Amino acid sequence: MSKEEVGLMDKIKAAVAAYQVDETVVLTTRAMDAGLSMKNVRHAICDGLNTLRRNLMSNHTSLPEFLLCIDAATQGLAKLSEFTDAGDKGVLTIVIGVVEGDPHDLGKNIISGVYRACGYRVVDLGVQVRAEEFERAVLENKAEILALSAMMSTTMVCMPDIIRTVRLKCPGTVIMVGGAPLDSQLAEKYGADGYAQSAVTVVEETERALEKKAKRGIA
Amino acid sequence: MADTKDIWKAIKTLAEGIPPSPALLPDFLLDAAGGLCSARGRISNLTNFERMLVTLRHKEPDRVPCCPIICGAGRRLIGNSYAEFCADPIIAAESFVAGFNLIGGDGVVALVDLSIEAADFGQKLIYPNNSTAHPDYTNPVIKDIEDYRKLKPIDFKQAVRMQGYTNALSIMVRRLGFRGFVAGFLFGPLGVLNMMRGTQELFKDCVTHPEDVMAACETITGVLIEFAEAQCDSGVVMVVIDTLFASWNGLSKELWEKIEGPFAREIASAIRKKGCLVGVHNCGNGIYFDAQIRSMEPAAISFAHLPDDCSSRKELKKRYGDHIVLIGMIDTPLLTRGTPYEVMVECRKQIDDLAPGGGYILSPGCEFPQNAPLENAYAMVKAAELYR
Repeated sequence: MSKEEVGLMDKIKAAVAAYQVDETVVLTTRAMDAGLSMKNVRHAICDGLNTLRRNLMSNHTSLPEFLLCIDAATQGLAKLSEFTDAGDKGVLTIVIGVVEGDPHDLGKNIISGVYRACGYRVVDLGVQVRAEEFERAVLENKAEILALSAMMSTTMVCMPDIIRTVRLKCPGTVIMVGGAPLDSQLAEKYGADGYAQSAVTVVEETERALEKKAKRGIA
Repeated sequence: MADTKDIWKAIKTLAEGIPPSPALLPDFLLDAAGGLCSARGRISNLTNFERMLVTLRHKEPDRVPCCPIICGAGRRLIGNSYAEFCADPIIAAESFVAGFNLIGGDGVVALVDLSIEAADFGQKLIYPNNSTAHPDYTNPVIKDIEDYRKLKPIDFKQAVRMQGYTNALSIMVRRLGFRGFVAGFLFGPLGVLNMMRGTQELFKDCVTHPEDVMAACETITGVLIEFAEAQCDSGVVMVVIDTLFASWNGLSKELWEKIEGPFAREIASAIRKKGCLVGVHNCGNGIYFDAQIRSMEPAAISFAHLPDDCSSRKELKKRYGDHIVLIGMIDTPLLTRGTPYEVMVECRKQIDDLAPGGGYILSPGCEFPQNAPLENAYAMVKAAELYR
């Protein structure tokens, strides 16, 4: 990569980290026009988001700033999707949604944004999603990962049923769960492959669950 | 500092068979009474009232008091839906009293749902039968930035849900009498705005348009002060302000102190002027004890996680335990999935860390999960009795 290309990627990263939406979109366009690969531009966007994600982990940034950063990354990725790149293959698909009866989508939206920025293809089903809708979406999109969110103790109890339903037809799909009333032990009890406490750890926890499942030879 | 008027109020309250708020009595009297009760607690069991009084004075009672915060879960005991619990003050009061009578504990923190205030500001709510009421997020009152400044104060006398809640408190206070302290509850101005805007947009607006958000906070605060005062008049000992966004799950400390801190201070000050204690509830991660203390000067903080400036329970106790009554911090997922014995083991660990020296109330980090097994609430009460 040339010095100019590296410089452009650094600028994209900085624009995302400073949650400058317009700047991110302009720089993304410029990078693609300059011939950078889609993969590299996506990496730059992801790096920008991860800078703030690390800051969130060490409490040097707060959720509102992180949300604005996700907006910048999402807009950059939306611009990126307007370009085609034959070299950009092998993206994993995640189906994500909030379980039936639960209207809280903040956590799910944050996690969706993080997944997208980190290169996953995200199919967001929104809130109040029934088991059969999750199952259909996983099958139709051949999703490698299903991510379930619940913010209330009264709605998280749907999770075991959703997990059983999806497992029957899609045994290879890695199922992640998250939300305020859950912890890792409840996730295990419900039959999930992984649990993430927050956006800070979700990517690493998902990778860990994918590896674990691959080692078991199911995926 | 309590004055003659406050003492008369305390006497009048006592005559009604209701425990007066300790904030109505002079410190020397409270210290003397607390000291005497604490000494008596070494040789015999204290009443719930005595135990709470001793705890609030940061002296060691006979055992740790317990408040299992049974709110929505209580309506299961009387066979009502959540919608009925929210809509009917008599059912709400009956649910809290049933939770207290059947499970036990030393006090009640009366949280019905977090949308009471927003509903009276015109936010359309959805009332599911088996889950907490929540806003219709497809139709928020505040749809855009300019709507913050369009928000108008409401006539508190016409505020159906807040009035209903206050009535429920009044019923509860009289039903429980000296058997248990009752604490009222209100959502802070940012919490109310959250219900009328949606968390995601509100958070971003706090960074991009803080002045507009503060204008709405000012409007809401006027009404919340009336709500807090009405709660005090119902006879509660303490009013708890929920300032959830003063945590890592919300705004940065600086931004919270700028946006909500001044308004939280006004509400807390109004509560104190009415002769009630100020409590804070915040179940966020890494909560800002220091900022909330600066703003509200509370007597007690109910919390689920360690504050941002402490790395262990012992450090928390050392830093804040001599001037703030600590209420917490049993993990709510444990109450959902754990066995009663596991709950008791955890209670014992927390009692060991937080109880020495007094000023601690064993409690879940948040409302007892509505569908968690109630034997786990009983396990908490039992642990408080056993692990002195």
